[in-house]
Amino acid sequence: MRPGVRRGALGTALAMALGASLILGVRFGSVPVSTGDVLDVLLGGGSPIHRDIVLGLRLPRVLLGLLVGGGLALSGATFQALLRNPLAEPYILGISGGASVGAVLVLATGWVAAGSWTLPLAAFAGAVVAIALVFRVATATGRRMDVRVLLLAGVVVAAFFSACIAFILSVSPARTVQSAVLWIMGSVAHAGWREVMLAGAYTLPAGVLLLTLARPLNLMAIGEDTAHYLGADVERVKKLALAAAALLTAAGVAVAGVIGFVGLVVPHAIRIVAGSDHRILLPFSFLAGASFLILADLVARMLLAPTEIPLGVITAFVGVPIFLVLLRGTIVRQG
Amino acid sequence: MRGGSAARTEVSEGPSPRRRGTILLGLLVLGCSEAEPRAPEEAAATPAIRVVDAAGATLEFDGPARRIVSLVPSVTRTLARLGALGAVVGRTDFDTDGWAAALPSVGGGLHPNAEALVALRPDLVIRFAGEQDPDTPVRLDALGIPHLAVRPERIADILTTITLVGAVTGRTEEAGELNAEIRAGLEAVRADAAGRPRLRAVYVLGGSPPWVAGPGTYIDELMDVVGADNVFSDLEFLYASVSPEEFLARKIDVILVPPGSRFDLRAPGARVVRVPEGMDAPGPDLAEVAGALARTLHGGESP
Repeated sequence: MRPGVRRGALGTALAMALGASLILGVRFGSVPVSTGDVLDVLLGGGSPIHRDIVLGLRLPRVLLGLLVGGGLALSGATFQALLRNPLAEPYILGISGGASVGAVLVLATGWVAAGSWTLPLAAFAGAVVAIALVFRVATATGRRMDVRVLLLAGVVVAAFFSACIAFILSVSPARTVQSAVLWIMGSVAHAGWREVMLAGAYTLPAGVLLLTLARPLNLMAIGEDTAHYLGADVERVKKLALAAAALLTAAGVAVAGVIGFVGLVVPHAIRIVAGSDHRILLPFSFLAGASFLILADLVARMLLAPTEIPLGVITAFVGVPIFLVLLRGTIVRQG
Repeated sequence: MRGGSAARTEVSEGPSPRRRGTILLGLLVLGCSEAEPRAPEEAAATPAIRVVDAAGATLEFDGPARRIVSLVPSVTRTLARLGALGAVVGRTDFDTDGWAAALPSVGGGLHPNAEALVALRPDLVIRFAGEQDPDTPVRLDALGIPHLAVRPERIADILTTITLVGAVTGRTEEAGELNAEIRAGLEAVRADAAGRPRLRAVYVLGGSPPWVAGPGTYIDELMDVVGADNVFSDLEFLYASVSPEEFLARKIDVILVPPGSRFDLRAPGARVVRVPEGMDAPGPDLAEVAGALARTLHGGESP
């Protein structure tokens, strides 16, 4: 099959998978609601309880899954290109650590009782502090931003934040520890329209910006010097793309906690199947990440219903085997 | 053994058949259970005090403990109620009542600071039974410090623990009176609640998605006493995060929320009630806690 045809087929399949995930995510949940009742609600009718469940809980939940999953995969693909490191993932700049410190602090001090907005805001603030810290360190060495320094700074800042979290949790009561651990493992169960708005306000502009940077990212993936000779404004692209990817991750982690593996596994899987042209890789990663997270969330709420399983657990349980199969296929093909 | 005043028969912890067998054997040999406070007095000969603790170990003492460190906050409160505070020489960071502030702390109730503990020269350490902190009993054995394991998890555990604590402090009679008082208090709350319509209640510990108390928990027992049914009595876990959808679909009258937590999901028809701190940690004041909860729940209205 020619690459163009193959990519077209994959794109269609990914779009259909996302549509199917959205339908399944709205149709199934902890409380049984029949297909007819779901349709009634979507057409503007239905009983108040069914309306609350479908419109108030499931719809924002799947949309948040779409935005966060797509955003994480897109952000992961961008970081892998910019840092030229296959291990790069959305949280590599210490973003999850910063967000977790913000969230854990709010849980431990009881400020969470002040309002439902305090936790995502504190998590977002923590993530932004982490990004600012890492960027500052990476640009301190000169006018150019050194991606190796950026990577190291990210790892070091993450280690510092995880020490902060360990300290706060070690002096907190068991109830706080449990809430914090659940938050850190990630969930979109509490999604409301406000969370969807917050995630959307960052994900959509940042996503569009990254898609417009696809061509320079192709050049950057080869090497910064080559990209420069081929006419890319390397520093500008690097800073814009890093900032967009980092804010995308910060918004995701603020509303859904730390959901691992999506940002690492999905871009690699797409790269294995469709190649590393970022004009294809970025949009396909978004579609695949969105479907993957919606389906993982469906498993998280259905498997032990009415008990919810942390989303990060499912993404790892499902993502890791899929990735290993894909990886093995690549190695076999390459002989 | 340090001071030669106490002896401990070791029994492995954990729910093994061997342990159960040992406990049964212990009970047969002693002809008494830990719920029978008269036994130590009847056995006039040495040792003066002999108890089987919640870990199944038999402890023998020549006389009441005089230097106690309680790692279990609810037991510390029991010691206070029994008038045995004079024998308490150390506290944990979680004992924050006025009288406790003057005592040195050994840190947490689990994984206490061993040096601080030894420095207090206790002749008895009261600790949590179970697997959360396997190091402390091993360390105390190595140091020759006797330790009494208690499991203050359910209502019956609290009564058993009070009996045990009464026995080792020589306050068997006071312990019996306190237990009778608690039983009568709980009965009164239960009798009062029996005349009122049962309420369907949820206890949300916090977290998102909400983390609730399931069946088999102390919370579940307490709800039953005050005339409420746990809406999540069908959970397969003691505590679990549950779907926000359940709060819409299940009929809920009252949502109980501890201080420092927040419940902001939609639950039509449900009243959100803030419960006093400590409701989820059973102790000697459990009848008072049940009474306060019943008043909050039923809002003082007549049946």
